[in-house]
Amino acid sequence: MNEELRVESTGETVGEAKWAAMRKLERVCPGLDKAAVRFQVVSEGERGLLGVGYTPARVVATVDEEGRAESTARSDEPVDIALVRGLVTRITAGMGIQCSVDMAEQEGGIVATCSGRDLGLLIGRHGQTIDAVQYLTNAILARSIPGRYAVVDAAGYRARREASLSALARRAADDAVQRGGRVELEPMTAVERKIVHLQLKDVDGVETTSEGTEPNRFVVVLPSS
Amino acid sequence: MAELLAYLARQLVDEPDAVRVEEVESEHLVVLRLHVAKDDVGKVIGRQGRIARALRAIVRAGGARDGRRLVLEIAD
Repeated sequence: MNEELRVESTGETVGEAKWAAMRKLERVCPGLDKAAVRFQVVSEGERGLLGVGYTPARVVATVDEEGRAESTARSDEPVDIALVRGLVTRITAGMGIQCSVDMAEQEGGIVATCSGRDLGLLIGRHGQTIDAVQYLTNAILARSIPGRYAVVDAAGYRARREASLSALARRAADDAVQRGGRVELEPMTAVERKIVHLQLKDVDGVETTSEGTEPNRFVVVLPSS
Repeated sequence: MAELLAYLARQLVDEPDAVRVEEVESEHLVVLRLHVAKDDVGKVIGRQGRIARALRAIVRAGGARDGRRLVLEIAD
């Protein structure tokens, strides 16, 4: 018996319709390999003029029993990594962000890196959206596997943010020494504050501390006495 | 978005069957009202409101994708 799984989807372009179909299939078979999916374009769609004559592109996607079996074969990755992959994939898809999620293991933590379109929306102002995704992912992960930690990243965002925080920390240190007074930084998450503290730990002439209460806790850089 | 919110809430609570999201549309915004079992309210709010804040950020961003103003409300 060869049971096929079949879904139909629409989108503004054939590419978007295919992408939406893929998401629907992934909900049923997590970790499904795109190569195992056959797409059939039902309608190319019409862009229309000023919204007149617009018809969506329509595709039918099918996976056969074999492809489905492989999808479960791939989920022999460790449960914690599979859990984080599933969560981040589900959250980004639910937010309407088109991206793929790659998993890695780094310094004892799980790293989920998103790449694709709309990453600015995923990151959000000052990274508040991606930090929210990471916080919820960890809250849910902790419920089933306590002691594991996951980082959610988007196309090098965390590395860029760390570099800019380090630069900010050094400028604040120079400032504190020159003016001989305390310099207060913007409120940051605990992870970000730690980056600042570590950056200035071995810098002569300044010390750092944190003040305020979450979520408005911030780092203060001051000349050492 | 309501579907994602319900999914996330179900992962956080002890009684996933009691999770329900009500969508209330008004002129300028859509309110997603999250209902959970009485004993689970704290779980979707979190320590110092952190879970609620994270859920709000995700709901807001998800709405912004389609140019809608989405607001999360936790029913008690």
